[in-house]
Amino acid sequence: MNPLQETHLAIGPARFRIALAWKQPLELLKRLYADYPDPDDGFADFTVRLEPDKPWRRFIRPSVHISGDFWLPDAAPLPLEQGLLAAEMGMNLQMALGWRRHLLLHASTVEKDGRALIMTGLSGSGKSTLSAMLGERGWRFMGDEFALLCPDTGQIYAFPRLVSLKNSAIAAMQKELPDDRFGPLLKATPKGDIRHLKPAAEAIANMHEPARPALLLFPRFGYEPAIRKMGQSEIFVRLTQASTNYVALGEAGFRALTEFVDQVPARAIDYQSGAEAEEIINRLWDELAS
Amino acid sequence: MSQQYKLRTGETLIEHVLDSMTAVFQASSGITHLVTDPVPAILEVLSDQFVDSDQVAERLQRQFDLQADADVAAVVAARLEELWQLGLVERRTAP
Amino acid sequence: MSNAWPLVRALRDPASVRGLDGAGWTNLVSMARAESLIGSLAHRLKEEDVPARVRPVLDDAIAAHQLARQQALWEADCTRRALAGYSGKVVLMKGTAYVAVDLDAGIGRSIGDLDIMVAREDLKQVEHMLLDAGWEWVKPDPYDDQYYREHMHELPPLIHRDRDRMIDVHHTTLPLTARPTPDARAMLDAAVQLETGQYVMAPADMVLHAVAHLVADGDLAGGLRNLWDIDQLIREFAKGDEAFWVSVEERAKAHGLAPHLARALRLAARLYGTPVSQSVAGVGQFSDWIHERRLLARDGWGRETRKLTRLIFYIRSHWLRMPPLMLARHLFVKWRKGQGAA
Repeated sequence: MNPLQETHLAIGPARFRIALAWKQPLELLKRLYADYPDPDDGFADFTVRLEPDKPWRRFIRPSVHISGDFWLPDAAPLPLEQGLLAAEMGMNLQMALGWRRHLLLHASTVEKDGRALIMTGLSGSGKSTLSAMLGERGWRFMGDEFALLCPDTGQIYAFPRLVSLKNSAIAAMQKELPDDRFGPLLKATPKGDIRHLKPAAEAIANMHEPARPALLLFPRFGYEPAIRKMGQSEIFVRLTQASTNYVALGEAGFRALTEFVDQVPARAIDYQSGAEAEEIINRLWDELAS
Repeated sequence: MSQQYKLRTGETLIEHVLDSMTAVFQASSGITHLVTDPVPAILEVLSDQFVDSDQVAERLQRQFDLQADADVAAVVAARLEELWQLGLVERRTAP
Repeated sequence: MSNAWPLVRALRDPASVRGLDGAGWTNLVSMARAESLIGSLAHRLKEEDVPARVRPVLDDAIAAHQLARQQALWEADCTRRALAGYSGKVVLMKGTAYVAVDLDAGIGRSIGDLDIMVAREDLKQVEHMLLDAGWEWVKPDPYDDQYYREHMHELPPLIHRDRDRMIDVHHTTLPLTARPTPDARAMLDAAVQLETGQYVMAPADMVLHAVAHLVADGDLAGGLRNLWDIDQLIREFAKGDEAFWVSVEERAKAHGLAPHLARALRLAARLYGTPVSQSVAGVGQFSDWIHERRLLARDGWGRETRKLTRLIFYIRSHWLRMPPLMLARHLFVKWRKGQGAA
């Protein structure tokens, strides 16, 4: 069996050992995660493995099979050029299936003055793009994939791995930011075109700082601008669906989520452009976030 | 021959009101049930001893000052059977 | 990081983890997760002084398996309600049985599907009652379905439409085609009733069922966990019951599992230091060593190693389960389906 090469990443409270069969994605990971704290003691919460799905796939049309401590039986392999995406999916998988220290909400988060804005919705809602955009406009980026809700304190912890920009969001962010903030363009992945963006230096430096949840939004892209109030039952149900480990946390998850729903004001918002969304978000933030 | 119902022995139910509904966390299954009225009131009645659906209906009618009505009894009987199927309550044939 | 020995050693002797560095711990955790032994390991290390970075990983494993235990008991209770009108014995098997009786083997054990055994002649009735109560067939493939019904020791798996949990309904412990044919009737007759009205196997049968799983039923995949079950069951049953070794030996002969039991005992003693009866375990064989290598085939990244040994065991495992002609037919149909899908 081929030995694997490994690198260790610390993202928010979680530590990963990424073990790969190839050198190229490893170098890329190291470069893009160079500003993150370096866990040099060998401890990891999870191992992610990126290996050829068949031995010859190491060399011939190399394709990456994603596995690790936690894995799914039917994960489709990705071409080697999309190794960075494979690493990201591998880390998401470990968190979604294995992390129990927080209630995980599939959501993006940004912070201002110690208060967190959480945005959740189906893929295509634009929550990731909005968090990347706000992260360059005076907010601290806390993550575009998972918001980590602490059952003991009710605070949100950051999981600020690389932002994964999709399709039209790529060009929009490229206009604003220098090239060295980006990874390579990954064309035609299962999720469309993807380009990874390094979060702002402040987001990485302060990644261990939690924030108090102050506003929850359910954005929806591509509709006439609108703001809709939501009932608590609807919010609760949608958050249980947005959580990967609500059931796994049992009573602690129930208590954390019901308290969250009681305390955090929430709105559904529709928008058609980043500028529109920003305007709505700022208005709601001033009005509702306390 | 009537059926009697009671909360499962040793069961912990944690209730949380969410505007129109009540979320009920059941410790023994780890399942969160979302229920509407009159289920929370029914669960309350079932907390300490086996009772049949007529007794539950009667208690609810007194508690909420409802008219004695065959509908109430029918609604309660249907909800009780659902609660049993969900594993929220125990059921036995009246001795 | 050549094999899973550090995991076996940590389970056997918790103090052995004291010298581990960060990388050593990360390897240990990956191996334990891959072998579904992380919960058992976490419990074994409860009293050990472990590094601050490791403690939360172990605590998480304990909490996760607490949930697995609770869900397993809940699924058992769901079948109790679904089969309330069935007059025969419903025997809980494997992990669910261990936690239902609160055995040491259940501590931290991962439990996936619910396995139950009922009398063969009652399968139809039980199947209908489960379908009425919300379980549905998993496999729509008629070949698989026919295969299961004709040759396996269980109904095709059912999954509950609301709870997303699987149930396997067995009528014996090994496939009907397997060479040893444990006496299912005798297992049902000897089963012990729980307060809930459901049953678990008697101690000797419970051990032999675990043995059948380890040695006769599979390709030894996940074998370290099965062997840990055996170790824990034997330690608990043999302690304070001098008749245990006699009964398990007699019972093994009756089920045609005596050589399998002997092999499992030797492996358990070699790997986990299980205190076994020398006369029942018999003398070591060269092939024990191959089995041991196969059981330990796991590297520090959590990968299965020694592909060749694995393949030999896979073929061997099919031979054990099916007579050769049937095997050829099975592989042929599987192959044709593979072609069709490609």
